Amino acid sequence: MDDNSSARLKRRLLGVVYRIGLFLVMLTICLPGLWIVLSSLRPTVEIMAKPPVWIPQEISFDAYVAMFSGIGKGGIPVIEYFRNSLIISVTSTAIAVAIGMAGGYAFARYRFRGKSGVFLGLMLTRTVPGIALSLPLFFLYVRLGIIDTHFGLILAYVALNVPFTIWLIDGFFHQVPKDLAEAAQIDGCTRWQAFWQVEFPLAGPGIASAAIFAFLTCWNEFALASQLTRSVSAKTLPVGLLDYTAEFTIDWRGMCALAVVMIIPALTLTYIVQRHLVGGLTSGAVKG
Amino acid sequence: MKGFKPSAPFLLLLPAIIVLAAVVVVPLLLSLYSSFTPFRLTKPETFFVFIGFRNYLSILANTDFWWAFGRTVLLLTIALNLEMLLGLGLAMLVEKATRGQRILRTLMMFPMMFSPILVGFQFKFMFNDNIGLVNNALQSLGITSDAIPWLIEGHLAFIAISVAEIWSSTAIFAILILAGLLAMPKEPIEAARVDGCTPWQTFRYVTWPFVMPFAYIAMTIRSLDVARAYDIVKIMTDGGPAGRTELLWTLVARTAYSDGRMGMANAMAYFSILLSIAFTVYFFNKLAAARTQIGAEW
Repeated sequence: MDDNSSARLKRRLLGVVYRIGLFLVMLTICLPGLWIVLSSLRPTVEIMAKPPVWIPQEISFDAYVAMFSGIGKGGIPVIEYFRNSLIISVTSTAIAVAIGMAGGYAFARYRFRGKSGVFLGLMLTRTVPGIALSLPLFFLYVRLGIIDTHFGLILAYVALNVPFTIWLIDGFFHQVPKDLAEAAQIDGCTRWQAFWQVEFPLAGPGIASAAIFAFLTCWNEFALASQLTRSVSAKTLPVGLLDYTAEFTIDWRGMCALAVVMIIPALTLTYIVQRHLVGGLTSGAVKG
Repeated sequence: MKGFKPSAPFLLLLPAIIVLAAVVVVPLLLSLYSSFTPFRLTKPETFFVFIGFRNYLSILANTDFWWAFGRTVLLLTIALNLEMLLGLGLAMLVEKATRGQRILRTLMMFPMMFSPILVGFQFKFMFNDNIGLVNNALQSLGITSDAIPWLIEGHLAFIAISVAEIWSSTAIFAILILAGLLAMPKEPIEAARVDGCTPWQTFRYVTWPFVMPFAYIAMTIRSLDVARAYDIVKIMTDGGPAGRTELLWTLVARTAYSDGRMGMANAMAYFSILLSIAFTVYFFNKLAAARTQIGAEW
């Protein structure tokens, strides 16, 4: 009786400790982001206040309005940066996925000599640090006259994304049973038809998440973009964010607002793909 | 059909190989060549002067370089180990939750959505000595009365950078390890408990071996872009104060673009490439070994 109730008390206590621990951990994870959002809505006076103002007194969207009307502090052309980011990311993602689908299919459906070696080789090209790769690319792009253009950055991002896209898509094709395509071929489909009508629709959601992952890589990339772009005509948002810090007085509120603008597409897209992404990366780890 | 089959994978991989050759392999060969020249951006003719290993020799004698190299390895060692441990802890914490696991999982992925440059900015803001959240909180709670110079003092700046790095990448480990925990059959754990294993023994001999491949996948993915610490450092301290947080990558960028010494920078870049490759190959081998151990086909 006494043992029983003390065991129950202990269990309940552990449960409470667990909940508090979980809450604190989640708070640590989310707080920095929430703080940025909050700061973007507060007047600069409040951000700078000493002693700190913890409870926001007034909330406004002034920073966003200023940013998009082009009269923000320092006159950062956010709209142009946003457009560049979008064009470069979408185009390079489309190309990388097309190439990645062919490569991923080869890895998932064929056995060939040196498969593991080729795979490792592809991955190794991805390990080259962006900044190390930017040195020869900078030199080459200047010579070819494609420095500071959309095309140059798109080309670099396709190469950046191909290895990882192949890895992911290989995983997704692995999950589609081989027999399905074979059955379709027996029923009179060509291999090409069997791919598009059977395997592609089944692996579709996975391929979409690989595409979104590639998009995010381009959207977030900084090391290459900061060296291969120079002017408003090609600079992307991450490089634009650094524009703010280059000034002597940092406009914290404006930077926070720009950060929020950058994070919203990423947030939405990641939320959509999260389930498939994990599935694709771990496929083959247990089932093969 | 059968005679055609062997070359099909090659044809399918051809576009990938062409792109990677054009954008990565050929430029890298070019940079390998230029690392043997005294090439400066301002003097194009120096591109054709061959000086052998002189760049490499002067790097080896350069203490700034070795400090940056050591600091980079230290940062990676600390960050990767802590990320692994925290990720494991986080995954087990979330796995235990009975309700709202979906929401918890989404929240857990939150840092993954931040680009490194944003992570850097965010922590630059939070660790700001004057208006940052960290100092404000410490002062309001009465823990300290002075403003702690987080990004201004060398060691503190290193800690701040490590925190930013760990915050941003723990999620990858947590997600993949959680996937492993969820995929794991429950019977072995119950069997171990019936046989009288302590919770620690159950974890060490039943759970961990099963989850290990997932952790190695995370490690391999992570090692593919360890160099993104460059973005974080660039925006947080830009290598300062007085080069105290200079990493290999920021040093390469400074030598190449600020000083214009491309030949020297390319030689340094090769050290950073070899470092990255070493990390990746190491974890890739571990991953392959873990895969064969549980009998999965590559």
